Amino acid sequence: MTAFARRLAGHLARGLVMILIVTTVSFFVIRSVPGDPMAARYEKMVEQGMSPEAAQRAVEVLFGFAPTGSLWQQYVDYMSGLARLDLGQSLTVPGVGVSTVLFSAAKWTILPVLAGTLLSFLIGIVMGVYAAIKRSGKLGDILAISGSLLHGVPQYVLALLLGAVFTTLWPILPQGGTADIMFEPGFNAGYIGSLVEHATLPVLTYALAGYGGWILAMKSSVVTVLGDDFILAAELRGLKRGFIFRYVARNAILPLFTILALSLGMLFGGAIFIERIFNYPGLGLMLIDSITNRDYALMGGAFLLITAAIIVANIAADLFYTVIDPRVRSGEGVA
Amino acid sequence: MKRLAAVVALLGLATVTACSGNTGDKSAAGGGDGGGGLYTTIDAIKPSLDVNGPINPWSPKGNAFWGYNAMRIAWSKNHLTDPNQFYPGIAASWEIAPDNSSITLHLQPNNKWSDGKPVTAEDVKFSIALAYTQGSTAFAIDPGAAGAASEVEVVDDKTVKISQDMKNPSVTFVRGVMDSFIVPQHVWSSVLPADFWDKLKAARGEGADAENARAEITALSEKVLAFAPPKDVSAGPFALERMNPGEALLVKNKNFYNAANVGPDQVKMLNSTGNEQIWNYLIAGKLDSAPFTAVPADVMKRISSTPGNAVVKGFSPVSLGLAFNQAKKPYDNVHVRRGLAYLINREEVTTIASPEGGTPAVTTTGIHQKPAAEWLGAELGELEPYKLDPAKAEEEFKKAGLKKEGGKWTLPDGTPWKFTINVPTPFSDWVSGAKAVTSQLTAAGVDAEVLTVADYPLYLKEIAEGKYDVGFWLVALGPAPYNIYQRLYGASNGWAILGGKVKHSAPGKNGNWMGGPETIEVDGAKVNPGELTAKLNSASEDEQKTIVGQLAKAANQDLPVVQLWDYVNTQFVNTNHFTGFPENDSDLLRQPAGVWIQLGMVKKK
Repeated sequence: MTAFARRLAGHLARGLVMILIVTTVSFFVIRSVPGDPMAARYEKMVEQGMSPEAAQRAVEVLFGFAPTGSLWQQYVDYMSGLARLDLGQSLTVPGVGVSTVLFSAAKWTILPVLAGTLLSFLIGIVMGVYAAIKRSGKLGDILAISGSLLHGVPQYVLALLLGAVFTTLWPILPQGGTADIMFEPGFNAGYIGSLVEHATLPVLTYALAGYGGWILAMKSSVVTVLGDDFILAAELRGLKRGFIFRYVARNAILPLFTILALSLGMLFGGAIFIERIFNYPGLGLMLIDSITNRDYALMGGAFLLITAAIIVANIAADLFYTVIDPRVRSGEGVA
Repeated sequence: MKRLAAVVALLGLATVTACSGNTGDKSAAGGGDGGGGLYTTIDAIKPSLDVNGPINPWSPKGNAFWGYNAMRIAWSKNHLTDPNQFYPGIAASWEIAPDNSSITLHLQPNNKWSDGKPVTAEDVKFSIALAYTQGSTAFAIDPGAAGAASEVEVVDDKTVKISQDMKNPSVTFVRGVMDSFIVPQHVWSSVLPADFWDKLKAARGEGADAENARAEITALSEKVLAFAPPKDVSAGPFALERMNPGEALLVKNKNFYNAANVGPDQVKMLNSTGNEQIWNYLIAGKLDSAPFTAVPADVMKRISSTPGNAVVKGFSPVSLGLAFNQAKKPYDNVHVRRGLAYLINREEVTTIASPEGGTPAVTTTGIHQKPAAEWLGAELGELEPYKLDPAKAEEEFKKAGLKKEGGKWTLPDGTPWKFTINVPTPFSDWVSGAKAVTSQLTAAGVDAEVLTVADYPLYLKEIAEGKYDVGFWLVALGPAPYNIYQRLYGASNGWAILGGKVKHSAPGKNGNWMGGPETIEVDGAKVNPGELTAKLNSASEDEQKTIVGQLAKAANQDLPVVQLWDYVNTQFVNTNHFTGFPENDSDLLRQPAGVWIQLGMVKKK
């Protein structure tokens, strides 16, 4: 077994243990959430004009899917289902598997999160290099201030601001949804354009929210590298500034890759606020809906998916670092 | 760097293209052929769309939109006092036996499913079988349940007769029948076994065979609930073409019996997860119609200023009450409840909490003021109005033994009295209303506060567990008088109908959180309001009137709740593209826009 494979196996084993722990904890936490979904459904039906008896019978039928037995028995059933990759049935969409609901929502979170994060990463690191090199000039100051400002503003505030500007004050972007239903789904310009149009605000929010962190981290990293001896040696050898830039950027960017992978995982948590504000139907919105309806199976599945995303991102970050940093490959390690 | 610049440029180009996407290549979606336009709305019943939901009217998240692609036998007018008034649906006309023992339905003669097959009496009978698995009021398998249909007879291809089990009749039997959804047998046939009606017959008996039959029918309920037809086959004015997580598109069903008068060719349903989104759609003028949404005054101004927007108002059979837990002191004392009622200025509370969607309750009877006038007539004026009167409040508090020390009311033993109202946080009008009430009470010397609860499911659980002293509670859920009074004298207050008999549970047991006494004194006579309420289910119209009068008086004297405001059905329409919307006070405001459209009212401009 190669060192890389050993490392991967170790990570996977640790990841599985972590998923097991988190799944167990979330199972019991979710079921300790107070609130009676049957009562809420009953009230809604009565408010809609259904007679009390009919509403009572309807919720009994609907929640016939509800887990029964002791909490321990439910846990055993849940875990054995999980071992068979069966996450159970949604309570609020009878007959539909949790995995179906999750995967149909996940794509609307993964794509914008990826796009927004990569966009902020690319712009942030480029601007970070400039901010470091021009740190004594006005451009450096402006870039640094823009980074500090955006880094300090919470994601949901940015989302609210962007929403207010682009959907209310200057309404050029849609207020919710994934695409205009009037376009036939498929590989056609209208539909793809509509997808991009609807994703613009969430992506822009992720991008702006991440940009501040990247520019500040990259600037700091570049400034550190600029002080390294190998840069001085390179300058003394008379290398051109362009080459120095490449050396500096390559070395400075290494620690940021780890943060990039981690931030991708963490952004799934942030999606809850963004998707709520933009009515963008991804995992975050689905999670809110499942909590409101006390759909335990769906809540459990969503938490599991988010946990798995963070753990996989951790493993990917570590492995990626192994690939890109020769010192890690050779066993020197990096702090 | 060059590659990076290219990527950025491409992304920018894509965004620009997308931003001008409204002029892109939108496909003509199915059935539109007459330029009838696109009608955009939000479904009041299912504001949150679910792309995974089946096209199944019994599924709570199903993509069967009432009045559009999901059809009932008929559509209730929700008349103030008569639950047996309807607009036609699958049935064109009907005859109700004078004693409510049967109803004969005559189906629309020319109606067809969207796939071209005719809508028949067999479809109706099959759909009723499906309804039995869900146990709707009119079609319950439990032999003891109120108002069960005993027989369903196909008279001919377009006529069905449904008889009521007169051993245990219900005045809401007809309404229960008419509220049934009708689905195509040729699509749903696999869901029920061929011997369903034999099973049902067996289930109505007694013994082990009946038990087994009931269990089999109950098991079928899950199957029915989860059934997902691959394609929408509708007998309504529209059929579902496609949907995504944010929107659904329905196209005209050319086979619908009244298709020639259906205005729009297409209907777009928008998803919404909160009131703010509906406000924004309305401000942007994007909705041809929208259901009632709690709207603050400033937002209402902005909505009204959008060209084409108009507000239509009508009766909504719902009121809001400040409900007491009478198992807790000092709320077990009627004088405390009355004293509090005299300290609350309902006009002010309504103005603060629900200026657009409510009117102050004229008094507190458990009935919305509009049907109250119909049910009670002149008696309404004789009831105590509980107008703001601090002197009377003081008198009542003193009768209850409360003491006033240093300008503050204390309990009879001199200990401090903390008046706490609990409300769920997401209900912004309730929170505002509760704050207005506590401000008024605090000014009058009652140490009052508002506590909010994270969400409605939690609120309902905690209120049912008797954790709150005082909470907000929806009452007057008409139009059937039993439905109105079960909110005050039903399960929440200890009364339940089991096997056709009324039983009372002690406070804190079986969901009895209101904790009122089993009998109360009204005009010097003892009455059991729970038994009276149960009688409303089977009483004749005249008897109902008498009982409603007694219950209104009981509620007015005993105050299990202080009725704060009566909701107003406030809806929004936009006349830029369509006209012919229902006017103020129309019965149709209590039905989805799909029903207006199928009746031929809404026309393209």
